[in-house]
Amino acid sequence: MARFIDLAFSAILQAGLYATMAYGLGLIYGVLRVVNLAHGGVIMAGAYLGWVLFERWGIDPYLSIPIVLVASFVGGAAMYRLLVRHLPRGAAGGPASLLLLFGVWLVLRYAGYRLFTGDDRTIRTTYSTDAVSLFGSFLAVNRLAVLGIAVLVPVGLHLLLRRTYLGAAIRAVAQNPASCTIVGIDVERIYTITFGLGTALAGLAGLLAATIFSFNPGFGSGELLKSFVVVVLGGLGSIFGMALAALILAVVETFAILVLPSYLTAAVGFVMLVLVLVLRPGGLFGQRVLG
Amino acid sequence: MIGRVPRRGVAAYAGVVALVAAVPVVFPVSPYTHNLLTFAFLMIAGSLAWNWMGGFVGQVSFGHATMFGIGGFVAARLILSGALPAPLAWIAAGLVAGVVALGAHPMLRLRGPYFSIATIGVGEASRVIFTYWEGFTGGSSGLSLPIDPILKYQLYWWGLGLAGLVGGASWLLRRSTLGLQLLAIKADVEAAADVGVSATFYQDLIFCLSGAVVGLTGGLYASYFAYIEPSDLFGFDRSIGFVLMAVIGGLGTVFGPILGAVVFVLLRQNLLASYPELYLGLYGGLLIVIILFEPLGLTGLGLRLARRVRRAREGRRS
Repeated sequence: MARFIDLAFSAILQAGLYATMAYGLGLIYGVLRVVNLAHGGVIMAGAYLGWVLFERWGIDPYLSIPIVLVASFVGGAAMYRLLVRHLPRGAAGGPASLLLLFGVWLVLRYAGYRLFTGDDRTIRTTYSTDAVSLFGSFLAVNRLAVLGIAVLVPVGLHLLLRRTYLGAAIRAVAQNPASCTIVGIDVERIYTITFGLGTALAGLAGLLAATIFSFNPGFGSGELLKSFVVVVLGGLGSIFGMALAALILAVVETFAILVLPSYLTAAVGFVMLVLVLVLRPGGLFGQRVLG
Repeated sequence: MIGRVPRRGVAAYAGVVALVAAVPVVFPVSPYTHNLLTFAFLMIAGSLAWNWMGGFVGQVSFGHATMFGIGGFVAARLILSGALPAPLAWIAAGLVAGVVALGAHPMLRLRGPYFSIATIGVGEASRVIFTYWEGFTGGSSGLSLPIDPILKYQLYWWGLGLAGLVGGASWLLRRSTLGLQLLAIKADVEAAADVGVSATFYQDLIFCLSGAVVGLTGGLYASYFAYIEPSDLFGFDRSIGFVLMAVIGGLGTVFGPILGAVVFVLLRQNLLASYPELYLGLYGGLLIVIILFEPLGLTGLGLRLARRVRRAREGRRS
């Protein structure tokens, strides 16, 4: 029973991280219908930005959240204006955008190696190893903080999308970009902002992951794949669907330890990804556009 | 239906292959160059076969390493057990990989990015599973094959033969009715179905053939390297390699993957030792530039240059 509670807690905490990683990918896909393969690279970049801020200027990783958000937003908006905007859209644009953003990822990884070498880095604060005890399980403080942020982000996104003019415009563009131009919404501007927002969320995920794991420039590929699982499972663009999907993924992965040899649990997420795509391409909860 | 095949084209192609085959006999090349060329032939065969699916059908697979790895380990196991001589073991490896590729059937309903993401999932899952399956792959310590210097020397011609056949097959495929049907599927699945081109059937067929050739290549690679391990053969970098070669050379063209594979092997060989990470930046940059400015890659660039030269020459004449 104690083991069960341990596993349950660790699944919930893991779900927080998965959800944070996936929101950015899901937002960009939901609005632009572009699969951002550079997502893993941005996660890596966010981790390193947090590391630099901490090591050079001693800024606590949680205080550097706004800096990382703004920097990633600018980077993402630039990526859209300079690169993604020029791609053909529609059926012909599918592989092109995938390959282009994959190229961006490779370049980011190269930049990572050039700037920071391939050594593993960690962000080690005074409270990195602190834990609180709950029902006999020990929960790392950092993981709890990540979970808290993972809950706040979708609430914030929901408010942004439902309560503001910008959010209404983003949802309108997601549904029908052509009609938006008729009512005076600058579609390109919305795309730029959305791409920036999605990238900012990926950067945030990287920063949060960096408080928990060590990382190197190759960091982010596993995170990208987990994000795919969550986005696809959650129904491509539905924010609360993604949060729920992150929980499902984390629970299945964590409890797989009980029935599978521990080495094979790494394959669970990938197998889920393929099964969900093949069996329920619209996601487990049906397809919704940015609810 | 293939239509009329120009005799001169076939003769010229056979001539080029024969010339390349004669190179080690006529010019004594160093073992290093000999091996590098062998490796290039294997990569040419692999990227040409990847291009059938990624270029002709337009389904970009990030998971071809699965078939490459299965081919490699099936061949290695058959050679190690002494059941079959190497060439037959390679063919068996190709057949097994082709059958495994048929298992992708349910995934082939997915189009575009969905398909690509699913292939990433399959590739990564198979890497984990096959690394765990020690009885077959030897786990993370891999398998060593007996080192056979004569076979390794002969692999030059086996590799060239394979690359030559696959190149010829690509050319015929492009010219044939089947090639046109694949183009129709690439352009619009529903419209293709309306004129009686079954996307399901042709995608299964091409994925199976492509997988078989990549498996065969994996089998030759096992003999070439004499030591194989699952994290390399099933690795994401392998899958990406096929994508990069075909895209850099010219996605969906016949000649592109050949050019791309040669560039890929040369760059990798010359850069890996002195600048281990530069290839990431280089390939990434190339990918971005190619997608934005020249979707037909180096082949497109070559055609553009040729057109400019011709125009300049005509201008001078008039």
